[in-house]
Amino acid sequence: MLLEVKELDAGYGYLQILRKVCLTIDKGEYVCIVGPNGAGKSTTMKAISGLIKPMGGKIIFNGEDITGLPAYEITQKGIAFVSEEMNLFVNMTVQENLLMGAYIIRDKKIQRDRLDFIFDLFPRLAERKKQLAGTMSGGERKMLAIGRGMMSNPTLMLVDEPSFGLAPQLTENVFQSLDVLAKSGVTIMLVEQNVTKTLSVTNRGYVLENGKIGLAGKSSDLANDGYVRKVFLGV
Amino acid sequence: MMAMSEKFSLEFNLKAGENNFMSKNNKAFVGWIKSAPGITISGSIILAVFATIYSGPYILVNVIITGGMLALVATGLTLILGVLNIAMFAHGEYFMIGSLTAYYVFTPISNYVNENPDSILAITGPLIAIALSMISGAIAGVISEKIVFGPLRRRSTDNWVMNSFLLTVGLSVLLINLHQLIFGADFKGIVRYWGGMPTEIAGVFISRDRIMAFIISAFIVLVFWLFMTYTRTGRAIRAVSQDVTGAQIVGINIENIVLLTIALSCALSGVAGGSLLFMYPSYPTMGLEPLYMAWFVVILSGLGNILGAVVGAFMVALLKVMTVEYVGAGWDFVVPSILIMMVLIFKPSGIFGSEVRGVLDK
Amino acid sequence: MRAKDEHSAGEYQNAPDVDTPLHNGDTLLQDDINPFDMMLQKTGFTPVGLVGVILLLALPFIPPFNQEYLLRWLIYAAFIAAMSVGFDFTSGYINIVNFGYAAVMGYGGYTTSILAINLGLTPWIGILLGGVNAAVLGLAIGMTSLRLRGIFAACLSWFFGLALMGLATKMVWLTRGPLGLRVPRLFETESNLPFYYTIVILLLATYLICTSVVRSNMGLAFKAIGQNMDAARTSGINPVFYRVFNFTLSCALAGVLGGFYAHFYGILTPDIMQTSKTVEVLAVAYIGGRGSLWGGAVIAFPFIFIMEIVRSTLSNLPGLNLIIYALLLILVMIYYPGGFSYFFDEHLRKPKNRVLRYLMNGRQVN
Repeated sequence: MLLEVKELDAGYGYLQILRKVCLTIDKGEYVCIVGPNGAGKSTTMKAISGLIKPMGGKIIFNGEDITGLPAYEITQKGIAFVSEEMNLFVNMTVQENLLMGAYIIRDKKIQRDRLDFIFDLFPRLAERKKQLAGTMSGGERKMLAIGRGMMSNPTLMLVDEPSFGLAPQLTENVFQSLDVLAKSGVTIMLVEQNVTKTLSVTNRGYVLENGKIGLAGKSSDLANDGYVRKVFLGV
Repeated sequence: MMAMSEKFSLEFNLKAGENNFMSKNNKAFVGWIKSAPGITISGSIILAVFATIYSGPYILVNVIITGGMLALVATGLTLILGVLNIAMFAHGEYFMIGSLTAYYVFTPISNYVNENPDSILAITGPLIAIALSMISGAIAGVISEKIVFGPLRRRSTDNWVMNSFLLTVGLSVLLINLHQLIFGADFKGIVRYWGGMPTEIAGVFISRDRIMAFIISAFIVLVFWLFMTYTRTGRAIRAVSQDVTGAQIVGINIENIVLLTIALSCALSGVAGGSLLFMYPSYPTMGLEPLYMAWFVVILSGLGNILGAVVGAFMVALLKVMTVEYVGAGWDFVVPSILIMMVLIFKPSGIFGSEVRGVLDK
Repeated sequence: MRAKDEHSAGEYQNAPDVDTPLHNGDTLLQDDINPFDMMLQKTGFTPVGLVGVILLLALPFIPPFNQEYLLRWLIYAAFIAAMSVGFDFTSGYINIVNFGYAAVMGYGGYTTSILAINLGLTPWIGILLGGVNAAVLGLAIGMTSLRLRGIFAACLSWFFGLALMGLATKMVWLTRGPLGLRVPRLFETESNLPFYYTIVILLLATYLICTSVVRSNMGLAFKAIGQNMDAARTSGINPVFYRVFNFTLSCALAGVLGGFYAHFYGILTPDIMQTSKTVEVLAVAYIGGRGSLWGGAVIAFPFIFIMEIVRSTLSNLPGLNLIIYALLLILVMIYYPGGFSYFFDEHLRKPKNRVLRYLMNGRQVN
């Protein structure tokens, strides 16, 4: 098992959002968390990536307890987080942003290989490598954020709301690139509001409601589940 | 971790909008000349040339020496503003610490050299003093981060910019009076570092110390700029200044970067104080003037803009030197501060700032 | 942690504590309250505050304070107390530090001094004119810093102050520069007593003006602007008026106080416009508790006395008093941002005893 989250409690300040969330991810899986706004999807991601400290529970990655470690150490252990706001370095060029993604890799040669790999994956970024990240369009920034996450050659990628604020065509592009990544063997955990689309591309899914896991199972089963259909798909 | 309401970040371009200085395109060049940086930079150059012809080249020499020192202090200030998000009021005190260190290191050295004039220390002694002033600046910076800013950051980051600013005010008063209490309020100065005959450059006699002071500041600014632009750590510092969360995500240890940043910028301030000891003797409130001037530079050139701070430093130096020359000594607070107020009122993002977040209230 | 900060951001004196249930007897309807309590309620004093004021008025007759040199300390303390009230009116409410506050004060002082020396104007009118002149300056600072965020507005007022101080130093034909002006004193007497009562009245007036403003709807608007400009704007508060008004009023108060300063000490140099003077006022206001108005006024007295005692008894250690206050400021900023007023509200304001409770809080009107 690659990642195991046991009874995770987390929140901001005094406000607890997650209550006893449990999930697991195996190597090579493509897992999604769906749920309504405010259910705690992003909070789960932030707690796993170390941006907020969990209030209780355990997070075990690769057999190692990473609960409460600072974010940079968790990144060094091989978890990359692509946040909803992307958190790009807006006054750096695309190439510099990508190099920052490989910050934890000190070997220049590996860095260059990773850079070539990303540029192969997203030719669009290669075209714009000298452009400042702040001047790019929304879709390109999303690509850059995902590319930056990939630069550190992570074992597990957490992707938060990649379709947020994007036009449908661009959303399609982003999902395609995630698909490519998943097929190349990267383990991905995806948080999305676009439930139909997400359940159609992932292997497995969790439904998070009010800070608790409501349902779990194969994505195809979830997509056909009566409750999910009624609440999220409105059918 | 650092949820701060106002965020400044470091930038490396002197561009305003689309116009690029380096462009070979004539139209772009004309456009750049018409932009705010174009007007101010070319205006300053014209002014400097005019003043040099009118009053003699010593004006230019003064501008270069003062500008070099200011560049050191102001880049440090800008760096702290960008990375730690602290509007530093105590930055001049690191200048004072630097000069104090240089004084206490150099005095015994110079006594020794007076007895043994052939000693190698006659040449290396000043360099040792200046290097130690840099190190002491860095140490003072690290200590203040550890016992002042760190605890505040851990306790609460609400209203961080204002609270940390007030902390630096307290720190400034503390350091000034510690100096007075321990070392006394008198002037602690030296006559010269290297001495010897002044060198003649283009018909002007410039003392060796001044030349060295300029070489040192130019060298340090250059190394610093290269470090920030091309090294992994330098990139990490810029990354933290642009997006703290993003920096954490890519695996940067923020605490280390914060510590490194404050050490670096205080070292820059300290070395400025150390290398100018022969011009400005050390006394408790000596840091105030470099502080005001550095703030002028930062406001003039826009926040968190390192290259801009270097250019702005020379502009402010020009302004100061010309004010002293043509308006009179003592007016060098009035005229620059009124001009800087104009900048703050009419172009709050500074002349090299792109539309910087955080300055304006929207 | 967060709750503490919100609290400290400004809880003015008589605000009923929402989270502490009141005993039946303490809460009265408007009609039941007697005129005395009503007056206290209106002016923003608690009974214990009133006792403090009476003590302040009686202090010059109580040994050891009846000695002239201690009376001079008292006058200076009351002066700093009044300054800190005016300073807190800006920094504690609209959350902008007026870093040129001492310079504004000096500007008012110079106005009245120059009028008195050159035109022979009586100081009483001169002080008022100084206030008006400082108000104009405050208007200018308020208008020009309107677009700027907190720290940059602070910088602007700081540069204003630097420029003013530079002008006062260099316009020798008018101000005699660093030599200083010889200013006629307010009262032609050796005794410090009339000066003391003047400054105490000024302190009370400053406090009453500031509290009456912040207890009106304006106070709410100030706080809204100070906490979140955008939110304030979207809820229909026009920040332009409130910010400019706040600056104008607090600078006018500083101008009047500066006039008193000049006519008390009889000599006015550009030194009083220095940033370090602002820092002194700032330290008192923050240690007293920002956003409380009264905190700084109360803490100024022990603070100034400790400073003066340290300075006069340990004169072989120059600067020690300033080190103490810098340390106090730093410690308060880091570990106890609410300052004295927060301490008072948390620990002294809720005694079990009903009489004490009345003394600390006054009657509370629903």
